Amino acid sequence: MTRHHVAGTDAFESDGDRVNVDVRGREVTVFRYDGDYHALLNYCVHQGGPLCEGSLTGRNTLGDDGWEWVYEDDRKYVNCPWHGWRFDVTTGVSPDDERYAVPTFDVAVEDGEVYVEL
Amino acid sequence: MSTEGTTRSGTGGPGSLDDLELLVDADSHVTESLDDILPYMDDRHRGIREMIELSDMPMSDVFSITAPTPIFAYNNQSDDVEVFGGEAGPAGKLEMMDEHGIDYSVINPTLTAVLNTVNNTRVAVALARAYNGYMLDNFVDADERLKVTVMVPPQKPSIAAEEIDRHAGERDVVGVFVPTAGLVPPPGHEMYDPIYEAAEDHDLPVVFHSNTGAVHRAFPVVHNWTESYALEHALMHPFTHMWYLASMVFEGVPVKFPDLDFVFSEAGIGYVPYTLWRLDDHYLEMPHDVPALEQLPSEYVREQFHFSTQPLGHTARNGANIARMIEMIGPELVMYAADMPHPDFDLPGELFDRIRGGLDGETTAGVMGDTAAEVFGI
Repeated sequence: MTRHHVAGTDAFESDGDRVNVDVRGREVTVFRYDGDYHALLNYCVHQGGPLCEGSLTGRNTLGDDGWEWVYEDDRKYVNCPWHGWRFDVTTGVSPDDERYAVPTFDVAVEDGEVYVEL
Repeated sequence: MSTEGTTRSGTGGPGSLDDLELLVDADSHVTESLDDILPYMDDRHRGIREMIELSDMPMSDVFSITAPTPIFAYNNQSDDVEVFGGEAGPAGKLEMMDEHGIDYSVINPTLTAVLNTVNNTRVAVALARAYNGYMLDNFVDADERLKVTVMVPPQKPSIAAEEIDRHAGERDVVGVFVPTAGLVPPPGHEMYDPIYEAAEDHDLPVVFHSNTGAVHRAFPVVHNWTESYALEHALMHPFTHMWYLASMVFEGVPVKFPDLDFVFSEAGIGYVPYTLWRLDDHYLEMPHDVPALEQLPSEYVREQFHFSTQPLGHTARNGANIARMIEMIGPELVMYAADMPHPDFDLPGELFDRIRGGLDGETTAGVMGDTAAEVFGI
């Protein structure tokens, strides 16, 4: 496990900001969500698309009445630009089928600098 | 069409139909006519009955059946097989079953199956109740081998639920028949929830069955350009099922009614793997539109849906394809159906001969009868 520099925390001004880095041939994207940092491999397990370049959204869920659509967790999910498969940026797991997940990496923040470990 | 040697009175021996302990026709039909069911119309609906009797053209004045060319117009090769009318009673049904070794039949309507073409909701309700009265008097308790479904008028779900409550306790009532030909809105709509609630309460599966003659209700534009009955018949059964299966799953009907079983009949099974693959990828690619779902559409289907096999289509070139098709769907979801006496029926051998080499004995027995017995509580 090696620590790789991503960017300064000033590159992540608000939730939804992200920085993509190449770590010895592997593209890794660090997202800021709810004040924390999360790293995902920029690779969709569906057909190999550049997942982490996709839009960040919340998701519709069913309301308590079982009918209403309720939008929640804005910018928690990254949607692959190729086919729209989506993954939770905090876990790498698809909210639609937990058998699908993209690799995640630990993130460390020290002295205002963000690092990924892989 | 199968011939001698594929029936249970044939040659016997290992791997023959004779070895099956149970053979169930999951989609058989009564060939009721208006004359058959009108006497069973409730006296409270006498005005409706007399109105229908006064019509010279009830197929267009009461129902609004429109076919591009006449239904089965050229299928007059036998006086014994008629689409409407004919041997409508239990004796004729049992005779056919005995001839082909069928132990049990689940009997669905023919004419009344196009109930959605009845514009007047009160008339539709009266006809559905009359049909159920006719079946109650003629088929229920007639013979333990004859099972029937309760016809419900989708136009009036509250009364549909009452019909289910009224008949569910009868010994030979094994399911709820939702006429799906021309069902608008499609069956995923919440207006139908009372039907599903009642069926679930009584532990009865809900059977979805399309028909021609009613296509214009749901597919009006293409119907206007359909120039033959053959074209309409070929496409509208599977099109309806694909549309309605998608409607039900994407609208979360199986999520709302997790203990309910659904049966899709009379479109064959070839459309099923394709539809499920398509629904699964749409679930994963457009998840914002289907928040009711928590797993793949095919997984809901695997848990709660069944499909009957008739009409298999022209499979003679490579019968093993049917076995593969059944494996793709999941053998436990597939039930043999004959569709007798309609003129595109599949005798037991039509299916059995083609799958016995490709599926093991237990799986084959499941498809030919055991699964249907379980689903319908036979």
